[in-house]
Amino acid sequence: MLVPIFTLKLGQKIHSRRVTIGKYDGQRPCLTAATTAGKVFVHNPHSQAVEGGRVTTVNTDISLLNINQQVSAVCAGQLGGSENDVLVVGTPTTLLAYNVQDNTDVFYKDVPDGVNVLTVGQLGTTSSPLAIAGGNCSLQGFDYEGNDQFWTVTGDNVCSLALCDFTGDGQNELLVGSEDFDIRVFKDDEMINEMTETEAITCICPLYCNRFAYALSNGTVGVYEKSNRLWRIKSKNQAIALCSYDLNGDGVPELITGWSSGKIDARNDKTGEVIFKDNMAASVAGIVKGDYRLDGKEELICCSVDGEVRGYLPSSPQASDNLMGVDIAQEMLRDLSQKRQNLLLELKNYEENMKVSQSMQSSGGVDVDQSKLGIIPANTQLQTSLHVNPGSEHVLPSVELSIATSNEMIIRAVMIFAEGIFDGECHVVHPLQTSLSNSLQVSIFPPRDYPVDLHIKAFVGTKTSSQFHVFEITRQLPRFALYTLYPGEVLEPSSSVEFHINERVNRVVLWINQNFLLLEEIEAVNGQLDVAFQSLRTHTPLVIRMQQNGNVTLKTDDMDLAGEVIQAMTTFLKIEELQTTADFPIQMDDLNNILVKVDELHSAGQKLTAEMADHSNLIRSLVVRAEDARLMGDMKNMRRGYMELYDLNRDLVNGYKIRCNNHTELLNCLKMVNQIIQRAGNLRVGKHKSSMISSCRQAIKSSNMSSLFKIIKAGVQ
Amino acid sequence: MTMDPLFLALSLFRRRKFEECSEICTQLLKKNPYDQAAWCLKTRALTEQVYVDEIEVDEEGIAEVLMDDNSMAQLPRPGTSLKKPGTGIGAPTPGVRPMSQSGRPLSGFVRPGTQSARPGTMEQALRSSRTAGTARPVTSASGRFVRLGTASMLSQPDGPFINVPKLNLVKYAQRQNLAKSLFEYIFHQENDVRNALELAARATEACNFKDWWWKVQLAKCYYRLGMFRDSEKQLKSSLRDQEMVDTYLYLAKVYVRLDQPLTAIEILKKGIEKFTGETALLTGIARIHEALNNMSDAVQVYKDVLHYDNTHVESIACIATQHFYTDQPEVALRYFRRLLQMGVYNTELFNNLGLCCFYAQQYDMALNCFERALSLSTDENMADVWYNIGQVALRIGDLALSYQCFRLALAADNNHAESYNNLGVLEFRKGNIDQARVFFQTAQNLAALMYEPNFNYALLSQKVGDLQSSFSAVNKSLEAFPEHWDSKDLLRQLRVELAAL
Repeated sequence: MLVPIFTLKLGQKIHSRRVTIGKYDGQRPCLTAATTAGKVFVHNPHSQAVEGGRVTTVNTDISLLNINQQVSAVCAGQLGGSENDVLVVGTPTTLLAYNVQDNTDVFYKDVPDGVNVLTVGQLGTTSSPLAIAGGNCSLQGFDYEGNDQFWTVTGDNVCSLALCDFTGDGQNELLVGSEDFDIRVFKDDEMINEMTETEAITCICPLYCNRFAYALSNGTVGVYEKSNRLWRIKSKNQAIALCSYDLNGDGVPELITGWSSGKIDARNDKTGEVIFKDNMAASVAGIVKGDYRLDGKEELICCSVDGEVRGYLPSSPQASDNLMGVDIAQEMLRDLSQKRQNLLLELKNYEENMKVSQSMQSSGGVDVDQSKLGIIPANTQLQTSLHVNPGSEHVLPSVELSIATSNEMIIRAVMIFAEGIFDGECHVVHPLQTSLSNSLQVSIFPPRDYPVDLHIKAFVGTKTSSQFHVFEITRQLPRFALYTLYPGEVLEPSSSVEFHINERVNRVVLWINQNFLLLEEIEAVNGQLDVAFQSLRTHTPLVIRMQQNGNVTLKTDDMDLAGEVIQAMTTFLKIEELQTTADFPIQMDDLNNILVKVDELHSAGQKLTAEMADHSNLIRSLVVRAEDARLMGDMKNMRRGYMELYDLNRDLVNGYKIRCNNHTELLNCLKMVNQIIQRAGNLRVGKHKSSMISSCRQAIKSSNMSSLFKIIKAGVQ
Repeated sequence: MTMDPLFLALSLFRRRKFEECSEICTQLLKKNPYDQAAWCLKTRALTEQVYVDEIEVDEEGIAEVLMDDNSMAQLPRPGTSLKKPGTGIGAPTPGVRPMSQSGRPLSGFVRPGTQSARPGTMEQALRSSRTAGTARPVTSASGRFVRLGTASMLSQPDGPFINVPKLNLVKYAQRQNLAKSLFEYIFHQENDVRNALELAARATEACNFKDWWWKVQLAKCYYRLGMFRDSEKQLKSSLRDQEMVDTYLYLAKVYVRLDQPLTAIEILKKGIEKFTGETALLTGIARIHEALNNMSDAVQVYKDVLHYDNTHVESIACIATQHFYTDQPEVALRYFRRLLQMGVYNTELFNNLGLCCFYAQQYDMALNCFERALSLSTDENMADVWYNIGQVALRIGDLALSYQCFRLALAADNNHAESYNNLGVLEFRKGNIDQARVFFQTAQNLAALMYEPNFNYALLSQKVGDLQSSFSAVNKSLEAFPEHWDSKDLLRQLRVELAAL
C-alpha cells in the first residue's frame, strides 16, 4: 500500500485546473494556484523545512499575488531570458507574465479573446519558448518580450492545451481540445490532424513519445497513441486533472487522474488498468510533479479544492504489485473462478442442444420445436442498408438504417454503438413482443457531417425462443449522410467557391458516390459533372460542378459545409495544397456588421471603464473623508459621507452590470470573427490555409478591413 | 500706429504674461468668435497659468496608499517592493540614520513622496498627514488638482471660457491644431479627466494611432484615473513610435505605482541606453534606490548624475546626507559648501552645515551656522533648528541649554516627537519619572514608527517595575527596528523577570 509522504493543509481554497508549480528562484519549486478573490498564492515551503511522514504542517509560508480579476489560468515555466521560471497568469481579458522572485512584470498583454487555458514551452520550429494562451476560438503564443509569435484560430472555444511530440520528429506539436469535441494537432500554425471526441475536451496531458491522455466533460478519460485511441473509460464523475508519473517505479509513466469526487487513481497507459487508488476529502483541483522536498526525487503532488496537498513518491519496483493494498493472488483466483463459471454455463448449453438434436435424429422427423432451443438455420444472414429519409412535416429528416434477416427469423433487439450520434454513445431498440418481425428500422440523426462507424449487434432467433444468436456487423455511415439529390429545379445559391484540381472527373464522381448516401450512383455527363444536393438539416442546396479541365465550382451559402466538402475531397484525392477563390456575400455582410459592432462596443467599453475608474476614485475619497469624520467624532458628517458612499456604490454596481453585458457581447462578436476566419481557412488546404489565417491576423491587427475581405475572398493579400 | 493685437498677445504669451495675453484674446474673440488663432492662444495661456509638472509633482493620495490594490505581491521579497520601508539591502540602521515621521530614512532632498510610507491603518494615515505638515491630497484624482483648477476659475466672472460638456469632441479631435491645446486645457485647467480621455481617444484614432503625443496624453488620463495597466500599454506603444525622456519617466512612475520598483529601474535604464547621460532618468533610478533603502546604489547613481551635471542640487544634497550619516562629516561639509556656492541659501542648508561643523569639531563655525539658520527659519522648520541646537548642547554637556532648546522646539511645533523624546530622557535623568513617562507617551503617539520613545518608555517602565507596559513597549520598539540590540537585551531580561513571577 502506497501512502503519501507528506500532507499539507494550505488553508487556501484552490480553484480547480488552476494549479502549477514553478522554480521561481531557479532552484526551489513553489506550488502556485489560483484562489478566491482574484488572487494567486505561491507556496514556498523552503523558508522552513517541510515535515516528513504524514505529519501535517501548519505553515505560514504562503504569499499572495493580487491579480484583481478572475484568474482563468495559471502556468509556470521557462520563457527564456533567465534561469528562473516565469509565472504566467491569464484572466478573461489579459495575460500577465510575472517574475515572482523580483516582483517585476515580464510582460502584460491585453487578450480580448480571453485566456481559458495556458501552457508554456517550445513549439515546433519557433526559436524561443512561448507562453501559449487558448481563448475563444483563438490561440496566441507570446515570447519573453511579449511579442505574439504565434496566432491561429480553431473551431470553438479552447478548453485544453498541451505540447507533445505528436509526429515523433523531435519537435513539439500543439494539441488543442475545444468545445466542439475536437482535438486538433497544430504543427507550427498548420493543422495536421484532427480527432473527434464525444464531448468538450477538458484536459490533455502528454504521456511519453507520441502518446497522450485526454479527459472529457462527461467523465471520459482515455489515451491516444498518435491518432489511434488505445483505451478509454467513462465515469460518472468528471476528471479534473491528468498527469503522467511513474508511480510503480517500473520506468514507464502511468496516467494519474484526479476526479471531481476527490478520487485519485493511477492507470497503466497501455491498458487503462487501475494500479493505485486514493481518496481526498474534497474534489481534486490539480496534479503536478516536482521535487518539493529538495531531496533530488520528483514527487507527485495532488491538491484538493480545500487546499489539502499530498505528495507521493514512487514505490520501489519490488513492491509494485501491491500498490492497491489488496492481495493480487486472491484477486486473480476470483477472476479465474468467475471465468470457469461462465465457461461451464456455456458448455452446459451446448450439451443440451446436442442432446436434443440427437433425440431429434433418432426419433426421425418428429417435429420438435426447434425454436425452443434457439437454433436458427445455418444460412441466416443479417442484411443492413442505409438510406435517407427526407422527412415530412412531422418527421424530422434522418438516415434510416434497416436491418433485416434473410429468412423468417426475427430480430429481437438491436444494439447500435456509435460515437457522437446517440446520447451515451449507445442505442438499443427492442420492439414489443407483439410487433416482432424479421426487419427493423432505426432512425439516425448524425449531428454533424462526419463519417461514423456503426457497430451493430442484433439478437436473432425464432419468435418463441428464449436464447438468441448475436450478429455483429460494422457499417460505416458516410460523411455526408444527410443529403439528398435536389428535387426539381435548383435555386442557385449566391455564394460559391472555385478552384482547380489536376484530377479526372471520374475520381470526383467516385468520391461523391462514396461520401453521399445515394440511391443510385451518379455519373459524369459528357465528361462533366453537375450535381445538386439538398441538405436535409437546413434544406439549402449544395451544387458541385466540375469541368473536364479540372475547374471545380461549389455553390452553397453555408461556408462551413463548403469547407468540409473541400477538406474531405482533398483528403480523398490526396491533394496537399489547394488555393481557392471564395465568394460569400452573405457572410461578408455579416462580418462587416460584426466588425462595425465590435468597434462600437470597444468605444463604449472604453467610456464605461473610464467612468468606473472615476467612480472608484470618488468612492475612495469618500471613504477617507467619512473615516476622518469618524476619527474626529463628527458623526453627522460621517453619516452623510457613508450615505453618499452607499448611493455611489449602487451606481457603480449598476454600471458594472452594463459593462459586463457589453463585454459578453464583445466577446461573442470576436468569437464570430474568429469563426469566420477559421471557416475561410477551411476553404484552403495546406500552407495556403495557414498563410491565409496569418494574413487575416495582420489585417485585423492593422484594422485594414478592406484587405481582410480581399484575403478571405482570394486567400492571399 | 498700434501693434496687431494677436501679435501682441503672442509676445505676451512668450514673456509669460498670461493674464494680459488672455485678456487681449478675449477681446479678439468678442470681435470674431471664430478666430481660431486667438482661441488657441487663450486656451494655452489659461493652461500655462495652472500648469504643473506632471512627472515631478505627484503625490499619492491617502486613499490610494491605503486602499492600494494595484501592487501584485502582498508579501514581496525584501528589496523588491516600496511597500515596507526598511527592508532594503545596505540600508543604514535607524540607530544611525533617523527616520522621517513615516518611517523612511531621512532623505537629503525633500520632494513629494519622501515623506510618505504606506501606513497600516486609516488612523495612522490620517493622523500622520495631519501632523506631518504635508499637504497630502485625499486622492490623487481630486485634492490638489481640483484646487488648482477652481482657483483660476474665480478670475473669470462670466463663467468658464470653454464649456467642456457641451463641446463636440469628435469634431475637435479631427482638428489636430486645436485638439492639442484643447486637451491640455481640459486636463490641466478644468481637471476633467474623463472628457480629456475621450478627446484623447478620439484624437489618437483620428491620426490612425500614429501620434506618440496623444498616446502619452491618454496614458496621463489613465494614470490619473488609476488605470495603470492601460496607462502602461499606451506609454509602451508611444515609446515604440517615438522615444522620449518624459515617456520613460512616466512609465517608470506607473511601475512605481504598481509597486514594481525593479521594473521601473529596468525601464529607466533602457531609457538611458537611448539618452546617454540624461540626468532626469538617472535621478529617477537613484530615487527608486533610495526609496528601497538601498543607499549605496542610490549614492552611486547620484554620483553618476553629478558626472554629467555638477550643479545638480538633489544629488549633492543626497550624497552629502549619506556621508554625514556614515560618519564622514568633513566630506559632507564639502558637499554642503558646494551647495552654498551654488546659491542655495536657506535654513535647512545652514542647519546641516552647522551639524557638520559640529561633528567635524569646528565648534566656532557651528554656532554661527545655527544662528544663520535661525534667522532664516520659518514656522515650519524652526523646530528642527532648535532641536538640533539642543542636540549640540547635549553633546557638549550643557543639559540646561539643551532642555531650553527642546522646549523652544516644542514651542515652535508642538508635534515634534523627537523633542518630546529627548525631553523625556532629560527628565528621566533628573529623576522625574512621571514627567518623563508623559513625554515618552506623547512621543510614542506622535511618531508610531520611531523606535526610540518606545525603547525609552520600556526602560523606564522596567525600572519602576511595570513589567507589562515595558514588555509591550519593547515589542513595539522591535517592530520599528528589529535589529536593535538594546531592545532585544531588554526583552530577554523582561522574559526572565516575567518567568520568575
